[in-house]
Amino acid sequence: MSAAPKFKNNVKISERHGAGEWKIEKLALAALMPLSIWVASTGLTLAGADFATVAAWFGNPLNAALSAITAVVFFLFASLAWKVIIEDYVPAPSSRKTLITVSNIAFVLLAAGSVFFIVRAASLPIAGA
Amino acid sequence: MSNHQAAGGTNGDRTGRYVRHPNGHVTPMSPFTSVWRWHITMVASILFRVTIGAATVGAALMLGWIATASSGADAYAKLLACSASPLGLFVWFGLTVVLFSFLLNGARHLINDMGKGLDLKTANLMARIAVWGPLVLAVLFWVALFATGKVSL
Repeated sequence: MSAAPKFKNNVKISERHGAGEWKIEKLALAALMPLSIWVASTGLTLAGADFATVAAWFGNPLNAALSAITAVVFFLFASLAWKVIIEDYVPAPSSRKTLITVSNIAFVLLAAGSVFFIVRAASLPIAGA
Repeated sequence: MSNHQAAGGTNGDRTGRYVRHPNGHVTPMSPFTSVWRWHITMVASILFRVTIGAATVGAALMLGWIATASSGADAYAKLLACSASPLGLFVWFGLTVVLFSFLLNGARHLINDMGKGLDLKTANLMARIAVWGPLVLAVLFWVALFATGKVSL
Protein backbone atom coordinates (compact mmCIF):
# COMPACT_ATOMS: atom_id res chain seq x y z
CA MET A 1 0.00 0.00 0.00
CA SER A 2 3.01 2.25 0.33
CA ALA A 3 3.70 2.72 -3.34
CA ALA A 4 1.38 4.73 -5.57
CA PRO A 5 -0.85 2.52 -7.73
CA LYS A 6 0.61 1.78 -11.15
CA PHE A 7 -1.38 1.69 -14.35
CA LYS A 8 -0.96 -0.12 -17.64
CA ASN A 9 -3.22 0.87 -20.52
CA ASN A 10 -5.28 2.81 -17.97
CA VAL A 11 -5.93 -0.41 -16.03
CA LYS A 12 -4.70 -0.54 -12.46
CA ILE A 13 -2.02 -3.14 -11.90
CA SER A 14 -2.72 -5.37 -8.92
CA GLU A 15 -0.63 -4.36 -5.91
CA ARG A 16 -0.13 -7.80 -4.44
CA HIS A 17 -0.75 -11.08 -6.20
CA GLY A 18 -1.18 -10.02 -9.75
CA ALA A 19 -3.37 -12.01 -12.06
CA GLY A 20 -1.53 -15.30 -11.67
CA GLU A 21 -4.41 -17.33 -10.32
CA TRP A 22 -6.81 -16.05 -12.95
CA LYS A 23 -4.30 -16.84 -15.70
CA ILE A 24 -3.75 -20.39 -14.43
CA GLU A 25 -7.53 -20.91 -14.32
CA LYS A 26 -7.88 -19.70 -17.91
CA LEU A 27 -4.93 -21.76 -19.15
CA ALA A 28 -6.38 -24.86 -17.48
CA LEU A 29 -9.78 -24.17 -19.05
CA ALA A 30 -8.15 -23.65 -22.47
CA ALA A 31 -6.30 -26.96 -22.11
CA LEU A 32 -9.56 -28.65 -21.14
CA MET A 33 -11.28 -27.63 -24.38
CA PRO A 34 -9.46 -30.09 -26.69
CA LEU A 35 -9.31 -32.61 -23.83
CA SER A 36 -13.10 -32.59 -23.44
CA ILE A 37 -13.53 -33.22 -27.16
CA TRP A 38 -11.20 -36.18 -26.65
CA VAL A 39 -13.27 -37.33 -23.65
CA ALA A 40 -16.43 -37.18 -25.80
CA SER A 41 -14.77 -39.24 -28.55
CA THR A 42 -13.59 -41.70 -25.88
CA GLY A 43 -17.21 -41.96 -24.73
CA LEU A 44 -18.19 -42.98 -28.26
CA THR A 45 -15.40 -45.59 -28.25
CA LEU A 46 -15.95 -47.10 -24.82
CA ALA A 47 -19.75 -46.88 -24.38
CA GLY A 48 -21.03 -50.37 -23.63
CA ALA A 49 -17.57 -51.86 -24.16
CA ASP A 50 -16.68 -55.14 -22.45
CA PHE A 51 -13.89 -55.48 -19.90
CA ALA A 52 -11.24 -56.66 -22.37
CA THR A 53 -11.81 -53.58 -24.56
CA VAL A 54 -11.57 -51.22 -21.59
CA ALA A 55 -8.43 -52.92 -20.29
CA ALA A 56 -6.84 -52.78 -23.74
CA TRP A 57 -7.83 -49.11 -24.06
CA PHE A 58 -6.14 -48.19 -20.78
CA GLY A 59 -3.21 -50.40 -21.77
CA ASN A 60 -2.42 -47.93 -24.55
CA PRO A 61 0.05 -45.47 -22.94
CA LEU A 62 -1.32 -42.54 -24.95
CA ASN A 63 -4.84 -43.11 -23.61
CA ALA A 64 -3.61 -43.57 -20.05
CA ALA A 65 -1.44 -40.44 -20.24
CA LEU A 66 -4.22 -38.29 -21.71
CA SER A 67 -6.65 -39.58 -19.06
CA ALA A 68 -4.25 -38.66 -16.27
CA ILE A 69 -3.55 -35.23 -17.79
CA THR A 70 -7.28 -34.59 -18.19
CA ALA A 71 -7.97 -35.57 -14.58
CA VAL A 72 -5.15 -33.47 -13.10
CA VAL A 73 -5.87 -30.38 -15.23
CA PHE A 74 -9.61 -30.67 -14.54
CA PHE A 75 -9.15 -30.90 -10.78
CA LEU A 76 -6.69 -27.98 -10.89
CA PHE A 77 -9.31 -25.95 -12.76
CA ALA A 78 -12.09 -27.13 -10.44
CA SER A 79 -10.13 -26.16 -7.32
CA LEU A 80 -9.61 -22.61 -8.64
CA ALA A 81 -13.22 -22.37 -9.85
CA TRP A 82 -14.60 -23.55 -6.52
CA LYS A 83 -12.31 -21.10 -4.74
CA VAL A 84 -13.91 -18.28 -6.73
CA ILE A 85 -17.40 -19.61 -6.06
CA ILE A 86 -16.72 -19.92 -2.32
CA GLU A 87 -15.21 -16.42 -2.23
CA ASP A 88 -18.35 -15.09 -3.90
CA TYR A 89 -20.90 -16.68 -1.61
CA VAL A 90 -19.23 -17.10 1.80
CA PRO A 91 -18.71 -13.71 3.42
CA ALA A 92 -17.23 -14.76 6.79
CA PRO A 93 -13.41 -14.91 6.40
CA SER A 94 -12.90 -17.83 8.80
CA SER A 95 -15.47 -20.16 7.23
CA ARG A 96 -14.39 -19.03 3.77
CA LYS A 97 -10.80 -19.98 4.53
CA THR A 98 -11.85 -23.31 6.01
CA LEU A 99 -14.07 -24.17 3.04
CA ILE A 100 -11.34 -23.30 0.54
CA THR A 101 -8.85 -25.46 2.45
CA VAL A 102 -11.31 -28.36 2.56
CA SER A 103 -12.10 -28.08 -1.15
CA ASN A 104 -8.40 -27.88 -2.03
CA ILE A 105 -7.66 -31.00 0.01
CA ALA A 106 -10.59 -32.78 -1.67
CA PHE A 107 -9.33 -31.86 -5.14
CA VAL A 108 -5.76 -32.94 -4.36
CA LEU A 109 -7.15 -36.29 -3.18
CA LEU A 110 -9.34 -36.62 -6.29
CA ALA A 111 -6.40 -35.82 -8.58
CA ALA A 112 -4.11 -38.25 -6.76
CA GLY A 113 -6.81 -40.92 -6.76
CA SER A 114 -7.37 -40.45 -10.49
CA VAL A 115 -3.70 -40.92 -11.30
CA PHE A 116 -3.51 -43.96 -9.00
CA PHE A 117 -6.51 -45.71 -10.54
CA ILE A 118 -5.53 -44.80 -14.11
CA VAL A 119 -2.09 -46.37 -13.53
CA ARG A 120 -3.84 -49.37 -11.97
CA ALA A 121 -6.19 -49.66 -14.97
CA ALA A 122 -3.26 -49.26 -17.37
CA SER A 123 -1.45 -52.19 -15.75
CA LEU A 124 -4.41 -54.59 -15.97
CA PRO A 125 -3.51 -57.93 -17.53
CA ILE A 126 -4.96 -57.98 -21.03
CA ALA A 127 -6.69 -61.23 -21.94
CA GLY A 128 -4.84 -63.13 -24.62
CA ALA A 129 -1.71 -60.99 -24.29
CA MET B 1 -45.25 -9.66 -0.33
CA SER B 2 -47.75 -7.47 1.47
CA ASN B 3 -44.82 -5.30 2.59
CA HIS B 4 -43.81 -4.84 -0.99
CA GLN B 5 -47.26 -3.56 -1.91
CA ALA B 6 -47.21 -0.94 0.82
CA ALA B 7 -43.65 0.08 0.14
CA GLY B 8 -43.87 2.94 -2.31
CA GLY B 9 -40.95 5.10 -1.21
CA THR B 10 -42.81 8.36 -1.11
CA ASN B 11 -46.49 8.95 -1.48
CA GLY B 12 -45.94 10.30 -4.95
CA ASP B 13 -43.73 7.43 -6.11
CA ARG B 14 -45.39 5.63 -8.98
CA THR B 15 -42.25 4.00 -10.36
CA GLY B 16 -42.37 1.06 -7.99
CA ARG B 17 -38.60 1.24 -7.83
CA TYR B 18 -38.33 1.96 -4.13
CA VAL B 19 -38.80 -0.29 -1.16
CA ARG B 20 -39.35 0.57 2.49
CA HIS B 21 -37.17 -1.66 4.63
CA PRO B 22 -38.32 -3.03 8.00
CA ASN B 23 -36.24 -0.33 9.70
CA GLY B 24 -38.17 2.37 7.88
CA HIS B 25 -35.45 3.33 5.40
CA VAL B 26 -36.55 3.90 1.85
CA THR B 27 -34.04 2.78 -0.78
CA PRO B 28 -34.07 2.05 -4.47
CA MET B 29 -34.97 -1.57 -5.05
CA SER B 30 -32.05 -3.83 -5.89
CA PRO B 31 -31.89 -4.02 -9.66
CA PHE B 32 -31.07 -7.67 -9.27
CA THR B 33 -34.46 -9.33 -9.43
CA SER B 34 -37.43 -7.29 -10.48
CA VAL B 35 -36.15 -4.46 -12.59
CA TRP B 36 -33.62 -6.16 -14.84
CA ARG B 37 -35.08 -8.21 -17.61
CA TRP B 38 -33.75 -11.76 -17.80
CA HIS B 39 -31.19 -12.01 -20.52
CA ILE B 40 -29.75 -15.09 -22.20
CA THR B 41 -26.20 -14.03 -21.23
CA MET B 42 -27.21 -14.17 -17.56
CA VAL B 43 -28.57 -17.67 -18.05
CA ALA B 44 -25.34 -18.79 -19.75
CA SER B 45 -23.21 -17.26 -17.00
CA ILE B 46 -25.19 -18.93 -14.22
CA LEU B 47 -25.28 -22.22 -16.11
CA PHE B 48 -21.48 -22.23 -16.33
CA ARG B 49 -21.23 -22.24 -12.55
CA VAL B 50 -23.87 -24.94 -12.36
CA THR B 51 -21.91 -26.85 -15.01
CA ILE B 52 -18.68 -26.61 -13.02
CA GLY B 53 -20.47 -27.99 -9.98
CA ALA B 54 -22.03 -30.79 -12.01
CA ALA B 55 -18.73 -31.50 -13.77
CA THR B 56 -17.05 -31.87 -10.37
CA VAL B 57 -19.62 -34.50 -9.41
CA GLY B 58 -19.24 -36.05 -12.87
CA ALA B 59 -15.46 -36.23 -12.52
CA ALA B 60 -15.87 -37.98 -9.18
CA LEU B 61 -18.24 -40.46 -10.87
CA MET B 62 -15.71 -41.01 -13.67
CA LEU B 63 -13.05 -41.65 -11.04
CA GLY B 64 -15.40 -44.27 -9.57
CA TRP B 65 -15.80 -45.79 -13.03
CA ILE B 66 -12.02 -46.00 -13.56
CA ALA B 67 -11.52 -47.37 -10.03
CA THR B 68 -14.11 -50.10 -10.70
CA ALA B 69 -12.67 -50.94 -14.10
CA SER B 70 -9.20 -51.18 -12.58
CA SER B 71 -10.50 -53.67 -9.98
CA GLY B 72 -11.05 -56.42 -12.52
CA ALA B 73 -13.56 -58.06 -14.82
CA ASP B 74 -16.18 -59.01 -12.19
CA ALA B 75 -16.48 -55.53 -10.71
CA TYR B 76 -16.58 -54.01 -14.20
CA ALA B 77 -19.35 -56.40 -15.31
CA LYS B 78 -21.50 -55.30 -12.36
CA LEU B 79 -20.89 -51.65 -13.19
CA LEU B 80 -21.76 -52.27 -16.84
CA ALA B 81 -25.07 -53.84 -15.76
CA CYS B 82 -25.83 -50.79 -13.59
CA SER B 83 -24.88 -48.46 -16.47
CA ALA B 84 -27.32 -50.22 -18.78
CA SER B 85 -30.23 -49.81 -16.36
CA PRO B 86 -32.65 -46.91 -17.00
CA LEU B 87 -31.22 -44.95 -14.06
CA GLY B 88 -27.68 -45.66 -15.27
CA LEU B 89 -28.48 -44.47 -18.79
CA PHE B 90 -30.11 -41.35 -17.33
CA VAL B 91 -26.94 -40.56 -15.34
CA TRP B 92 -24.70 -41.16 -18.37
CA PHE B 93 -26.95 -38.93 -20.50
CA GLY B 94 -26.66 -36.24 -17.83
CA LEU B 95 -22.88 -36.60 -17.89
CA THR B 96 -22.79 -36.04 -21.65
CA VAL B 97 -24.95 -32.92 -21.30
CA VAL B 98 -22.53 -31.65 -18.63
CA LEU B 99 -19.51 -32.47 -20.78
CA PHE B 100 -20.86 -30.56 -23.80
CA SER B 101 -22.03 -27.72 -21.57
CA PHE B 102 -18.51 -27.48 -20.14
CA LEU B 103 -17.07 -27.46 -23.65
CA LEU B 104 -19.40 -24.89 -25.22
CA ASN B 105 -19.85 -22.63 -22.20
CA GLY B 106 -16.13 -22.85 -21.39
CA ALA B 107 -15.32 -21.80 -24.95
CA ARG B 108 -17.77 -18.90 -24.67
CA HIS B 109 -16.15 -17.84 -21.40
CA LEU B 110 -12.63 -18.06 -22.83
CA ILE B 111 -13.58 -16.00 -25.89
CA ASN B 112 -15.21 -13.35 -23.68
CA ASP B 113 -12.20 -13.38 -21.33
CA MET B 114 -9.98 -12.47 -24.27
CA GLY B 115 -12.16 -9.39 -24.70
CA LYS B 116 -13.72 -10.76 -27.86
CA GLY B 117 -17.35 -11.35 -28.75
CA LEU B 118 -18.64 -8.82 -26.27
CA ASP B 119 -20.89 -6.90 -28.63
CA LEU B 120 -24.57 -7.54 -28.05
CA LYS B 121 -25.19 -9.66 -31.11
CA THR B 122 -22.20 -11.99 -30.69
CA ALA B 123 -22.64 -12.25 -26.93
CA ASN B 124 -26.28 -13.25 -27.39
CA LEU B 125 -25.42 -15.79 -30.07
CA MET B 126 -22.63 -17.39 -28.02
CA ALA B 127 -24.84 -17.48 -24.93
CA ARG B 128 -27.61 -19.17 -26.90
CA ILE B 129 -25.16 -21.75 -28.23
CA ALA B 130 -23.82 -22.33 -24.71
CA VAL B 131 -27.31 -22.79 -23.26
CA TRP B 132 -28.98 -24.94 -25.95
CA GLY B 133 -26.01 -26.47 -27.76
CA PRO B 134 -25.21 -29.03 -25.03
CA LEU B 135 -28.70 -30.54 -25.25
CA VAL B 136 -28.49 -30.77 -29.04
CA LEU B 137 -25.00 -32.30 -28.98
CA ALA B 138 -25.91 -34.75 -26.21
CA VAL B 139 -28.99 -35.95 -28.11
CA LEU B 140 -26.90 -36.38 -31.29
CA PHE B 141 -24.25 -38.23 -29.24
CA TRP B 142 -26.86 -40.68 -27.93
CA VAL B 143 -28.48 -41.07 -31.33
CA ALA B 144 -25.02 -42.09 -32.58
CA LEU B 145 -24.62 -44.56 -29.68
CA PHE B 146 -28.00 -46.17 -30.31
CA ALA B 147 -27.57 -46.14 -34.10
CA THR B 148 -24.23 -47.97 -33.87
CA GLY B 149 -25.72 -50.48 -31.44
CA LYS B 150 -23.21 -49.66 -28.67
CA VAL B 151 -26.10 -48.91 -26.36
CA SER B 152 -29.58 -50.43 -26.42
CA LEU B 153 -32.61 -50.35 -24.18
